[in-house]
Amino acid sequence: MPAHDPSVILPLGLTLNFFTDTGFWSGVGVLAGIYALVALGLQLNVGYTGMTNFGAAGFMAVGAYAMAILVLKAGFSFWLSLPVAMLIAIGFGLLVGLPSLRLRADYFAIATIALAETVRIIAQNADSLTGGNQGLFCAEGGAGACYNDAWTNLSTTIEGWLQSLGWTNPESLAPLLIVVWLFVVGATLGLRFIQKSPWGRVLRAIREDEDAAEALGKHTFVYKLQSLAIAAAIGAFAGFFLALDLATVHPLDYEPLVTFFAYGVLVLGGLASYWGVLAGAVLFWTILEGTRFIGFGLDDTQIAALRFFIVGLALIVLMVFRPQGMFGKREEMVLGE
Amino acid sequence: MNDADVDAERPNGKPILEAAGVVKRFGGIRAVNGATLDVREGSITALIGPNGAGKTTFFNVVTGFYRPDGGRAAFQGDQILGARPHAIARLGMVRTFQITKALARMPVIDNMTLAAPDQPGERLLNVIAHPRRVRRREAEVREQAIELLEVFDLARVADDYAGTLSGGQRKLLELARALMTRPRLLLLDEPMAGINPTLGRRLLDHMQRLRADEGVSFLFIEHDMGVVMNHSDRVIVMAEGRVIADGEPHEVRTDQAVIDAYLGSGTVVEDERA
Amino acid sequence: MEAQSLTLGAEESAWRRLKEAADRRPAVTALIILGVAVIVMVAAKGLHLVAQTGLNGLSLGAIYALGAVGLTLVYGILRLVNFAHGDFLTFGAYMAYLVNVTSGMPLAVGILFAMATTALLGVAFELVLWRPMRARRAGLLQLLLTSIGLALVIRSAIQWFWSTDVRLLDVNTTATVSFLGLRIGRMQLIVIAIGFVVIIAIGLMLSQTLLGKRMRALADDLDLAETAGVNTRRVIVYTWVFAGSLAGLAGVLDASVTALSPNFGFDLLLPIFAAVILGGIGDAYGALAGGMLLGLVTEWSTLFVDAKWKIGVGFVALIVALIVRPQGIFGRARTI
Repeated sequence: MPAHDPSVILPLGLTLNFFTDTGFWSGVGVLAGIYALVALGLQLNVGYTGMTNFGAAGFMAVGAYAMAILVLKAGFSFWLSLPVAMLIAIGFGLLVGLPSLRLRADYFAIATIALAETVRIIAQNADSLTGGNQGLFCAEGGAGACYNDAWTNLSTTIEGWLQSLGWTNPESLAPLLIVVWLFVVGATLGLRFIQKSPWGRVLRAIREDEDAAEALGKHTFVYKLQSLAIAAAIGAFAGFFLALDLATVHPLDYEPLVTFFAYGVLVLGGLASYWGVLAGAVLFWTILEGTRFIGFGLDDTQIAALRFFIVGLALIVLMVFRPQGMFGKREEMVLGE
Repeated sequence: MNDADVDAERPNGKPILEAAGVVKRFGGIRAVNGATLDVREGSITALIGPNGAGKTTFFNVVTGFYRPDGGRAAFQGDQILGARPHAIARLGMVRTFQITKALARMPVIDNMTLAAPDQPGERLLNVIAHPRRVRRREAEVREQAIELLEVFDLARVADDYAGTLSGGQRKLLELARALMTRPRLLLLDEPMAGINPTLGRRLLDHMQRLRADEGVSFLFIEHDMGVVMNHSDRVIVMAEGRVIADGEPHEVRTDQAVIDAYLGSGTVVEDERA
Repeated sequence: MEAQSLTLGAEESAWRRLKEAADRRPAVTALIILGVAVIVMVAAKGLHLVAQTGLNGLSLGAIYALGAVGLTLVYGILRLVNFAHGDFLTFGAYMAYLVNVTSGMPLAVGILFAMATTALLGVAFELVLWRPMRARRAGLLQLLLTSIGLALVIRSAIQWFWSTDVRLLDVNTTATVSFLGLRIGRMQLIVIAIGFVVIIAIGLMLSQTLLGKRMRALADDLDLAETAGVNTRRVIVYTWVFAGSLAGLAGVLDASVTALSPNFGFDLLLPIFAAVILGGIGDAYGALAGGMLLGLVTEWSTLFVDAKWKIGVGFVALIVALIVRPQGIFGRARTI
């Protein structure tokens, strides 16, 4: 068959459509951006402070639910709900940190998962507040205002700008894609800036040897709390964007699986590299979303299973053969532990 | 020479560290069983004793790394027993560790600059709001760090990862780093272990100089009796969790209780000049 | 920056002495607290309800205990909590499904098959993954992420072959048994019976046999056991056989009173963690006791809160345990 035929079958039954489908790429881009945000927070916690935080999905959930509840139940404007929800997420992060920060690495991991799962259980069962297993989208069962109405308006405006710039038929996800990545780049620049400071140096010292840092007069507990709080704030925004992407806030979108995927992004990009996180996120989601194109007639659950398998295998392979990921430094892994 | 210098040289000043009846239990065992001792300001005091006497445990308790089970301790008049390690370090009592804690994946120079006190850049608010102030202090700190590294002959490895240093170099880095904090009392846990004699001499000379010039006091745990006898003003002996002797080196060496404690554990106390 | 000078004043010592006594005899303290709690519950809700939910608690507790004892022993080898353990339960259940439903054989055969295959799975991973990583002195984060990767791989394989459909084992879930005025599902009773028999057998095996003692020694301190001349490689393999088969059993038992789905084992993981930590990590007897205790507490909670919150009890127990007493009820105070 001629090479330019779009239905040419590549290995794994992929078709060439894979490369030209802008809907696909904007979907990948948005997911990559959201997970990049989560993983940036993880990088701060894990790569730079040495805290094995497994509660990332919880930060997202608190951010997203707080936002939706404020808009739908408390009558906040969408724009005001964002900073307030972020503050609530930071508060939650502090709440998580206070009792659990003194635990050693694997216990801290378990404790943070447990706390994140508690958030999810509450979301699933506190029906009147969180919509329970239905989730939250619009008030009055779909007839009233939706939490993302304000965003939809902004999105339409951005689409208008894009059209005036020459893009005749912009993807519906394009505005979200742009905003998410502006955020991601901003967060990366911000994190790099504070990381290079003496404050960031204390974090790295904590990662290396917390006792040594304490012995030099650093109040390590406070620094770890700050690291967690920043990750919570960034995680909240990841939650907001996910809520906008899916147009619903549902407990199943905040399972521990999300945190595990974020760790996949983190180690793929490499520990202790903020830009690496972005590369890792894009690669990760290109592969995962790409599974949708596999032409063997797989059903949805099998595709989902394939995704878990890829992520699980990638984690194992990376940890065994290339723990520093794509952009991490080998010495960082070798000299550690 | 003013009065302060004179006092610093004469090791009979008032106590900078006072511990009374310190107790630390692990399960059923009392590793420290009522330790009472003073460290005089401006002195170089050795803490010796057979293995298992509780010396390092005592350090850990008094610097806040272990929770105490009893007793009192005061540093420059402030009660410190039960306080957190960072708070005690900030008061001016800084310790080093028996097994060095070089921050392996950070450059040597970062190990040093980390330790400097009063860094506005360590508060996130200042990093964002007062970048110039942060930069200025950072430059100062860097200069001080390099000067100190030169004293210990580590300036040439300043940019290497601390994890690539040899054992002896790490011991020196540990000491240099502790000195960056501008301490009043340094608690050194076996500072000579693993260092060759020349380097060791240099370390001891530096200690003497610090004591003379700046009045820094030292309490160090040591097993090398030659060092203890020849370089300390005062020797405190611990055995089985308590202090059994406390005096000048020559007094302690002939103290029957001390000899018994060591004979019981198989070590022999000798003066290397004998 | 206030320091507290500790004085041994008379006012403090009474409370301190009580606390120290409680610390020294944790099992007794726990039993006393449990006893008091039972009395309070009976007073509030009546003996019948407490006993009825207590029975359910025993069934759940047996499952938790079987899952926890393997996890805690494996901890001593891996030096970390194995996130893939929950998926061992899932694997075991699906293996039993293969035998019991797909091939139509009795459940007993299914149980044996599940235990055997899960044990094999555990050993396979030990030889292929854990042993080489230990040899390379892999760090904690590396091992943690590897175990998560493993969990995902197992779950994905199960989902690939069996999809996310909820499946049931070929057991009679409606038959009930009555005694002493209490009703319990026949299958649940069988679960309790099997659970208890196996738990007692495990207890005996751990305390009476040489292998059992070695496994406990390893779980407590691997390096020490090695210097004492124990053939650690062999004991480690046996420990995986042990942990794997018990996990498989726990999975089948849970599936027989509830249902199978690809992630049911992972859902049980956090409560099993809680049981392990409550019992003191590395302590096999503690894990058994912790599991039973957690099962009871979870079911008894339904007397006071809506049943939909039941799963949350495991999480809360875990969090409280980690905060208040990370060494568990029976563990010694290690520096955690």
